Amino acid sequence: MPPMHDALRSPPMRCLLLKDAFRHAPDRTGGAGRDTNAHAYLMLSYLLQRLGLALVTCLFISALTFLIIRLPPGDFVDAYIANLTASGSSVSHEQAEAMRREYGLDQPVLVQYARWMGRVLQGDFGVSMVWRRPVTEVIGDRLWLTMVVSLAALFLTWAIALPIGIYSAVRQYSIGDYIFTTLGFIGLAIPNFLLALILMYLGFRYLGLNVGGLFSPDYVQAPWSWARVWDLIKHLPLPAAVLALAGTAQLIRIMRANLLDELRRPYVVTARAKGLSEMRAILKYPVRAALNPFASSVAYLFPYLVSGSIVVSLVLGLPTVGPLLLQALVAQDMFLAGAIVLLLGVMTVIGTLISDILLIWIDPRIRLEGRA
Amino acid sequence: MRRREFGATLLAASGLASAAMAQSSGSVRDSALVGELEGPTLVSDPARRPQRFAEAPMLAEQVRAGRLPPVEQRLPQDLMVVQPLRSVGRYGGTWRRGFIGPGDSENGNRLMSADKPLFFDKTGTQIVPCLCKGYEVSADGKRTTVFLRKGMRWSDGTPHTADDWVFWFEDLYKNPDLVPAPAPEMSADGKPGRVEKVDETTVVFIFEAANYLFPYLLAGDTLVGGGQTRQQSDGRAYSVYAPMHYLKQFLPKYSSAEALNAQARAAGFTTWVQLFRNKSDWRLNRDLPTLAAWRMVQPITGQQWVLERNPYFYAVDTEGNQLPYIDRIQMTLAENPEVVNLRAIAGDYDYQERFIDLGKLPILLENRQRSRYRVHLDPGFNGGDTVLFPSLTYTEDKEIGALLADARFRRALSLGIDREQLNEVFWLGLGTPGSVIPDRIIPESPGEEWRTKWSTHEPAQANRLLDSVGLTRKDREGFRLRRDNGQRLRIEIAVAQTLSPTWPQQAEMIVQHWRQIGIAADVKVMERSLALTRALNDQHQIFMWTNNGTESLYLYPRYALPVDPTAGVMGNAHALWFASNGQRGTAPTEPEMKRAFDLMRAAAGQQEAERIKTAQEVWKIIVEQQWGIGIVGLSPAFMGVRVVSERLENVPARTGVSQHIRTPWGARPEQWYFKS
Repeated sequence: MPPMHDALRSPPMRCLLLKDAFRHAPDRTGGAGRDTNAHAYLMLSYLLQRLGLALVTCLFISALTFLIIRLPPGDFVDAYIANLTASGSSVSHEQAEAMRREYGLDQPVLVQYARWMGRVLQGDFGVSMVWRRPVTEVIGDRLWLTMVVSLAALFLTWAIALPIGIYSAVRQYSIGDYIFTTLGFIGLAIPNFLLALILMYLGFRYLGLNVGGLFSPDYVQAPWSWARVWDLIKHLPLPAAVLALAGTAQLIRIMRANLLDELRRPYVVTARAKGLSEMRAILKYPVRAALNPFASSVAYLFPYLVSGSIVVSLVLGLPTVGPLLLQALVAQDMFLAGAIVLLLGVMTVIGTLISDILLIWIDPRIRLEGRA
Repeated sequence: MRRREFGATLLAASGLASAAMAQSSGSVRDSALVGELEGPTLVSDPARRPQRFAEAPMLAEQVRAGRLPPVEQRLPQDLMVVQPLRSVGRYGGTWRRGFIGPGDSENGNRLMSADKPLFFDKTGTQIVPCLCKGYEVSADGKRTTVFLRKGMRWSDGTPHTADDWVFWFEDLYKNPDLVPAPAPEMSADGKPGRVEKVDETTVVFIFEAANYLFPYLLAGDTLVGGGQTRQQSDGRAYSVYAPMHYLKQFLPKYSSAEALNAQARAAGFTTWVQLFRNKSDWRLNRDLPTLAAWRMVQPITGQQWVLERNPYFYAVDTEGNQLPYIDRIQMTLAENPEVVNLRAIAGDYDYQERFIDLGKLPILLENRQRSRYRVHLDPGFNGGDTVLFPSLTYTEDKEIGALLADARFRRALSLGIDREQLNEVFWLGLGTPGSVIPDRIIPESPGEEWRTKWSTHEPAQANRLLDSVGLTRKDREGFRLRRDNGQRLRIEIAVAQTLSPTWPQQAEMIVQHWRQIGIAADVKVMERSLALTRALNDQHQIFMWTNNGTESLYLYPRYALPVDPTAGVMGNAHALWFASNGQRGTAPTEPEMKRAFDLMRAAAGQQEAERIKTAQEVWKIIVEQQWGIGIVGLSPAFMGVRVVSERLENVPARTGVSQHIRTPWGARPEQWYFKS
């Protein structure tokens, strides 16, 4: 039965079969067991290697971060003086010098970096110069909210994009495909800050929504309660929608293209020929295969989860980590900016690591290449 | 930038209905949006001092619970009695407001201005009592005595006495770790003054030369007059008094440096100085005692910056109700000024003037009924919201430096600008085009004829002036050529991205105007701190800034003359020369500048009437020499567009907008109240 043979050779089927083999390894014959052991060993060394590289990368990221923050002329004290001048005060030369000494800004950049890194390694990220609070506290405040917004946006993106992607692939060149594709491209073409502004205006004008922020004024400082959670949920749709819409178009297109590739494969034809229901014939195998590329995008999701979108957060006035990073960079608050960029770097590295592992797990071809 | 442009189009689309209003140039002062300057009055007649006192319910509750002494015992004998603007108010409510982050200290500092030693009336010119009930200057001008309110207490109940003033002078001001540079305000004729206690409620400032100006410095927004909240935050240790009973524990003199350093490290700092700065900063430390009407209960470093009534505040209304009427001030973090504007339009604020953008006026007006607020326009007193400051000590290009130092060239540049067009486009016609001089309401203003002097659009005259400078040769496109190498003369206007969102566009428009007089110019838009650092180093050719604050020549001269080396906008080498008494910097080459410097130095030793004449003289020289090229001013652009809840009472129809009136505090928020 040649068609069946073909279906077996197609990646999803093989993947499933290999996974089964892997899971049931101990029950198999000795030869297969040795192969699995060698395999596990290779996996382990591969992972260790990746982990080591990840650490070095993080170190490089931190050094680079620090240098880049120091690249523009001036330092935190200059930015601080500028802020005071703009609000009507001023700082004398002597006072500025005293401040530089206080913050250690009179030292060479390398010394400053070494000191900072030394403290970071002990888990102390220093005190933010702008906020005058420990960096961990400043970021911690916003981290959870950022993740809530990002996750909400992520799920919304997937909830919209995946069904549409599947639909447009299955009904390629249908009216529905054209409509969704057009909408998707419009969504992609409109900068999301613009969308944010428009939605914010419409929301305020016609729905009487609260503008900006994630809480109503009454709940900003309130301790956590169900009322506060409800308030947060009421504020979530707008930012989640803005953030989600921009990502949807891309996802729809990826999903559509991947699925189209899969749908043309013989195993789908076989599945249909065998009389599988259309729903099952599409969802069971081709869609799962088409999902593969999403695993590799996990790497980018991680930093996104902790930073959110800077521009959209700024426009919508969301108290997330993104605007914090921007402010820190403008004010040249090295400790805060350094810590956030380091966090983003570490998240990217972890994300890459996880996506690597995911891909190995999902797609055996990568593993084979690793062995060769 | 793009986002702002979008905002502008959005406004243009939605604000068509209001376009008629926007074009009513010149009639702004007649429009219903600009009211009469007004404010509550202070009652000085002892016969009208209330005999029975009342307090806010939230405090009465604490008194009943035994956590607070009764109101009679909390108030000083020397009360401040305020006659409310329209009616005696009722207690309660939260004033909702917006701020934009930990750098926005002034937002709250201003609300806390009741702790200033002295203050000004609604016009910002006459001294009125504040923390001190009065002052006296000796006949020779060398001694200024201030009288504290007897029985006044800090917000923790500890008495406030002359010892707090001497403590500041001896232990804060004289400690070089805390105050690395002496305050220029604390010296007369270059020699430092000192502070002495006369009795429990009397303090004297002693100088070696006549210093009639000193009480004005105590009333202005200066290093000595700023009050504890303003001048002992953000790393400063100025002002003229400090809570001795509280801050002592953080000074090595009264503790030990080792113990304090250990305490500092435990708190995440490195030295005791940082610890002290943190503990003495009202924005960060809620335990710090204050004398203002409210005290901080949620620091500036969070999502909300919250102030709550000070149970020991020293003022009452005419019926003996202790002020303030409003219980709490709740400032909510907005990630940027645009969000502040949007929330104001949505009615999320009860009183907001800070960050409200004049360009949003049409949409603000459109939403008045819907969001239940009033809009007031308060024209400022300063002559130029936008001023071009030619650097008088520019050395990076000799030819351009020489031209900028030439009064004829500066006058020509000024005459080449079409201010009416700028006013229409960027101020919605609500400003007043003209020179840098302050509003006529300020006695120091030299007279309205000086507003138009060298400050009208006269391209022909400008061309003649430029020819007379020697810039006679032009290239094929009509641009004038340099005198040294025959190349096209190109002047740079440096613009900082701050304060006004439209500065870059304003500069571009001026560049277009200058084409008519054959001057080629480029606009360089810079990030704020870079622009200001370059200004301090005289690296700009022409710097676009404001003279906001310089409505008062003596209290804030930095944007009138190059005298303050900490804020260079117009030739900082001269400022350094002036401040160091000729030790450093570059001596002025223009004799008029030397004369202006001499007049400024002499002013401190002059009595009021003479001093005002001197100021008028200085302003005339400034306009004549065009050290600052005023564009458009006397407008509501800076803090002059007020969004006020319909429920808020006793709010003046117009309030002074000035650094020294501490806008919005000049409108006396203590006596505002919410209608039921």
